[in-house]
Amino acid sequence: MKFLRGVRAGAILSAGALLGLQAQAEEDDTVKVGILHSLSGTMAISETSLRDVLLFAIDEINASGGVLGKQIEPVVVDGASDWPLFAEKSKQLLLQDKVAAVFGCWTSVSRKSVLPVFEEYNGLLFYPVQYEGEEQSPNIFYTAEAVNQQAIPAVDFLLEEGREKFYLIGTDYVYPQTTNLVLLEYLLSKGVPLRNIGGGLRRDADGEVISAGTYTPFGHTDYQQIMADIKKFAASGDAAVINTINGDSNVAFFKEYAAAGLTAEEVPVVSFSLSEDEFRSLPAEDLVGQLGCWTYFMSLDTPENEEFVANFQEWLATADVDGIEREGRVTCSPMVLSYDGVYLWKAAVEKAGTFDVDSVVKALESGISFDGPGGTVTTQENHHLTKNVYIGETLPSGQFEVIESFDEVYGEPFLKGTFSEE
Amino acid sequence: MLFRFHNLIISALFLLVSQLSADDTQAREIFVEAILAEGSEQTALVESLSTTASTLVPDFLEAWKRGDIFLLEADGSAAPTPLLEVEPEQEGGTPTYFRVIDGEEMAAGSFDPAALEMARPSRKTRRVFTMTIDLLALSTPNVQERADAALKLGLKRDDDILPKLILLRETETEPSVIEALNEGIAVSMLSHGTKEGQMDAIQLLRDENSIAGLDALKNLRHDLNDGLATHPFSEEELAKLTASIASIESYISWTDFVGTCFRGLSLGAVLLIVALGLAITFGLMGVINMAHGEMIAVGAYSAYISQTVFYSLFSESTFALETYFLFAIPFSFLTAALCGFILERTVIQFLYKRPLESLLATWGVSLILQQGFRLIFGAANRQVRSPSWLLGNVEIFDITFGFNRIFVIGFAILIVFGTWFLMAKTPMGLSIRAVMQDPQMAAAMGIRINRVRMMTFAFGSGLAGLAGVFLSQIGSVGSNLGQSYIVDSFMVVVAGGVGNIVGTVISALGIGVTDQALQPLLGPVMGRICVLVAIILFLQWKPGGLFPSKSRSLD
Repeated sequence: MKFLRGVRAGAILSAGALLGLQAQAEEDDTVKVGILHSLSGTMAISETSLRDVLLFAIDEINASGGVLGKQIEPVVVDGASDWPLFAEKSKQLLLQDKVAAVFGCWTSVSRKSVLPVFEEYNGLLFYPVQYEGEEQSPNIFYTAEAVNQQAIPAVDFLLEEGREKFYLIGTDYVYPQTTNLVLLEYLLSKGVPLRNIGGGLRRDADGEVISAGTYTPFGHTDYQQIMADIKKFAASGDAAVINTINGDSNVAFFKEYAAAGLTAEEVPVVSFSLSEDEFRSLPAEDLVGQLGCWTYFMSLDTPENEEFVANFQEWLATADVDGIEREGRVTCSPMVLSYDGVYLWKAAVEKAGTFDVDSVVKALESGISFDGPGGTVTTQENHHLTKNVYIGETLPSGQFEVIESFDEVYGEPFLKGTFSEE
Repeated sequence: MLFRFHNLIISALFLLVSQLSADDTQAREIFVEAILAEGSEQTALVESLSTTASTLVPDFLEAWKRGDIFLLEADGSAAPTPLLEVEPEQEGGTPTYFRVIDGEEMAAGSFDPAALEMARPSRKTRRVFTMTIDLLALSTPNVQERADAALKLGLKRDDDILPKLILLRETETEPSVIEALNEGIAVSMLSHGTKEGQMDAIQLLRDENSIAGLDALKNLRHDLNDGLATHPFSEEELAKLTASIASIESYISWTDFVGTCFRGLSLGAVLLIVALGLAITFGLMGVINMAHGEMIAVGAYSAYISQTVFYSLFSESTFALETYFLFAIPFSFLTAALCGFILERTVIQFLYKRPLESLLATWGVSLILQQGFRLIFGAANRQVRSPSWLLGNVEIFDITFGFNRIFVIGFAILIVFGTWFLMAKTPMGLSIRAVMQDPQMAAAMGIRINRVRMMTFAFGSGLAGLAGVFLSQIGSVGSNLGQSYIVDSFMVVVAGGVGNIVGTVISALGIGVTDQALQPLLGPVMGRICVLVAIILFLQWKPGGLFPSKSRSLD
């Protein structure tokens, strides 16, 4: 049976490859890829940076000869922070522009809304931003950090430092809620008693925990009451805060934190949604000593990273892109994972010898490595990446100082229910 | 934090170069050994650092933790030399290196900095860093640090540390440190003491209303229930423990109550200063001003501008940081008032008789202004730093009163008083009230109603600008700052009764306190929804708000 399936797959593959080749022969010597990010609306501030780095990667590849002898032609579309529009735009990219691959999405809700489109029309999406897991589509490659590549190493680090109590706080949407549920299970499995987890629990009628932690709406500005609660929670010492607040609200949160007289030594905060790019519009001085956990930091001291940062700055200075910001730019993990995605796709295409989606996915699943700015990343059969994880301490400059690293962490999307008490 | 770290480096440098007491020499030797050691040996060496009397240890440990200690490989089989790296003062300079063992500076060129390898403490070792630093802090002359360290160590419930704390209590003379020691010892006693010690601790924690000790008491009760405790308790003793927990918990709920009232007042004060301008433009003048939020943003950006100007005039000095805010207050009032003036002259003056059209027009203006902010200041948020007198807090009975919150309450009182004075006691106020009540009659009496309207609208906008200055202190300044407050503003004004400033004051405070009181019970999201539902129901019951306007001229 297995053999038969193999033969059939092979037949489809070669047919697909033939069709693909024919189609390409008719066109000129370029191949189109889609860039699907919000260039307007509330997410534009983060996602525009990803568009920039993607264009940079494509220019770099084109300058060195392209992919399979073809120049890459980027098709940039604006999702406008409007989730249904993301689905519409991805349909347009796949059907009208017939792109070979799409790089895009930031919020989990935008990814969830394009997922059925990519599955229906057999497209290929590279998704670059840390997310909550519990998903694995055959048509998506998650270069993003899975929960075990960000939240869990961070918690391990805090446990090692002797932290015993954890306060969970986040913005009220799918990523923080899911991540905190996974973390709750993980903490319990590490012997942290339920009473040492702050922020409150919500249970359904059967007593099953359905939500752990405190959640505030997007754009929330009043953290007085929550800070009083954290202070009370931390009074007995050895407490830490796990922060999944998104966007602007972090400013209000950290200002209130300072006003309450809390310090990073007493009650460290580890934030999962704050990278160097966010620090461009956050007061980094208020966050000195707080922790971040990503698979890349701009301050990484490797030749690959130095070259990447220098080349990107050089590209920015001359890039011919409408409204691009050239001054004061930084690099961060979602940007590097976007960049890695383009190169992994290129390597997979070259390995498969075709742009056909099924063959490329197969090549990716077989394990392809790329020496990116954050270290070597390797694709896995489960559509995630093996990569290095770093824990950093915030400096007044808005950069991170790396204080711990975990090498080659395997990306594991399905974590819920996998932890048992030791 | 930044300054503290700089001081650390400078003091470390000073000590490194100049003096080398016997204690320091010993500390250096142990420290070098620790860097070169591995595993549990390393941990033990770091722990032993706490027994040296050297003041260098915390700086060394901090440097090690931050990755500023490097190893210089020696030729042959000799052990590598640990070096301390000190960052250059200017950006782009080269760092200097000092030998840890004797503090000698390494001459540039005598080694290759690129070949240095960072000496990382093992994870186990890092865990004892803070404890070692705290143990050392027990003998510092600084009273506050000593007290903090005593409590922190006691909370660790470590039976190796407990005897040290007890020993220290006998020689300590400072009352606040003794208090902290007592609390810390009591918490440790709960886990490691004799039965008698435990009973004393239970009593002491109850007398002290120790929030820090509550967890330890609860843990003890858990252990007793699970049969894990070292000494079983009799019924009576258990009752004492439970009573102690209940007493601390009731103390906490008391602090929660008072704290919530304060936080409610401060949120109410924020809502009040945000809504007061609208109470005038919408409440008195009847203009549905959707651009009110953008007037707030104008105020916030003005604060940012004054900060930038002060920084460039006085080069980022402390003086600039401490004083720019005093300038920002009148400056934002004036810029926002000017914007209001322009808005009134160009758009609103033609729409006094057509309120629905003024809604659409001002909404359009608000969109234009938001895009304008993005064009001028960029899409990224701008940061406004707070002067030191707005940072920090006082703590009374375990309730934190932030200075910025105290300030906003005082600020709100001042603004309301100023508005009341203007409206009730000045000739200007008299003509404003006359024009608002009956424009034709006022005109017939010789009041230039156009001018009065113009001034009133500018004044209301100026008040919004004042709100913006304060909001810049508790959040970030961005183009959609106003959007997050516009709904709140209308809510406060409508619930308070359109056209009545007393109503606005009461409804702002009422909404603030209700919001803060519901938050711990229902969470911020549900709490907010409940407040909105309550306001809708209230308006069903009293459509005119708290203080409905009784004037006949307003329809």
